[in-house]
Amino acid sequence: MTGRVRSLVVLVTGLLLQATICTEFRHRGVSVELLLLVTVLAGYHGGPDRGAVVGFFAGLLHDSLVGAPLGLHALVFPPVAVAVSSLEQRMLRSTPLLDGLAVAAAVASGTAAASMAGLVFGQESVDAAALVERAVRAGVLTAVVAAPVNRVVRWSMAGSGPASIELRTPAG
Amino acid sequence: MAAPRRAERPRPTLLILLAAALTLLTLQFRGAEPLNAFQQGIRDVISPVRSIVDRATDPIQTAWSGIFGYADLQAENERLATELAQVRGAVLSDEADRELLERLLGEVDIAYADLDTVVARILGTPPGNFGSHLVEIDKGSDDGLAEGMAVVSGAGLVGRLDQVDRDRSVVILATHADFSVGVRLVASQDEGLARGTGGPTIRIENGIRLDAVIADDEVVVTAGGRSLFPADIPVGRVVDPDNFAEYERSVVVELAAGLENLSFVNVVVIAEEDTP
Repeated sequence: MTGRVRSLVVLVTGLLLQATICTEFRHRGVSVELLLLVTVLAGYHGGPDRGAVVGFFAGLLHDSLVGAPLGLHALVFPPVAVAVSSLEQRMLRSTPLLDGLAVAAAVASGTAAASMAGLVFGQESVDAAALVERAVRAGVLTAVVAAPVNRVVRWSMAGSGPASIELRTPAG
Repeated sequence: MAAPRRAERPRPTLLILLAAALTLLTLQFRGAEPLNAFQQGIRDVISPVRSIVDRATDPIQTAWSGIFGYADLQAENERLATELAQVRGAVLSDEADRELLERLLGEVDIAYADLDTVVARILGTPPGNFGSHLVEIDKGSDDGLAEGMAVVSGAGLVGRLDQVDRDRSVVILATHADFSVGVRLVASQDEGLARGTGGPTIRIENGIRLDAVIADDEVVVTAGGRSLFPADIPVGRVVDPDNFAEYERSVVVELAAGLENLSFVNVVVIAEEDTP
């Protein structure tokens, strides 16, 4: 299975889970942001380019699901993937707790950014306090389910990139 | 930590994707029908899966609500107990109010009960984390529903259809900040535009004369006219007539229909030839 097909499978599965389980099992009205989580992890494992592409399509699917203007989340998710990838390259050490916090922060930022983009494009206005509270709660809730999703996204990103070329200097 | 990889240049890809997203947004705001059809198609495709999973996980959802919604249920219980006490204390007043409402509705010959409606079950909150004051119902375009139709309960106006798929729809509740409806005050006959406030009341902010005499508890109904909403659907009662406004009236109306804990609603179906 090629990397693109794997990514497609992950996105479609993510869409279905977002539409069903994540929507039905909310915690005080807030649900897991699964498609955003896939974007964050794709940026982490796949690098900025592939993360951005996965984020773009995840955003389009999210727009379709929630009935937002098509392109709204697709405008926000790719920069999130690029930012995560950029930060990942600068991280000196990685622990499960640190990774979990980073995922929560990335998802919270992405959720808040999507809401603010929605405001710019004439969507429902949410007051700042409620926005921050919802975004943080969505981030924490999403980080809780990140471990299994991480394995799936890592699998989808494995081996899908271009073959790397190693430059060797002739011996002697 | 992810495996090390060669350095990548994200900028061209990111710029292309952002340009594509902005193009799609522009096309969508210009009303490109294929984009709407694409979105609706995706929702229609996954709708059967949603229904199956919803049914399959129903017992687990109940348990989930019991565990994580216990505090909310307790608060709801306390609120209902308080309301019950108030209702018992004011039963005579309520009877008088009911008589007044019936008399007022009779005076304007309101045929509210005669409207053609489709009964729909409320499924819950639609997907997404920022869709407050929205509910999803189990009827859609296959049942003759269309965007903009009025949604009512036995007590009065609940909201309007905002997004209609084949077998599901999203209702924007009257309390939603983006909700607006033309209304008429039954006694003073003034008409205005009422908007949701994000709270339990709605506010009439345009159209009411500064010198109009509006009583507390005056009945408010839909104005009809060019709206997709039929005239004379009960909306609520005035709780603050703003009689001392100097520049513009802002009349606060308490909705007749309780929007919490709704299980079923009626969608007012308008035949195409009746559409204004």
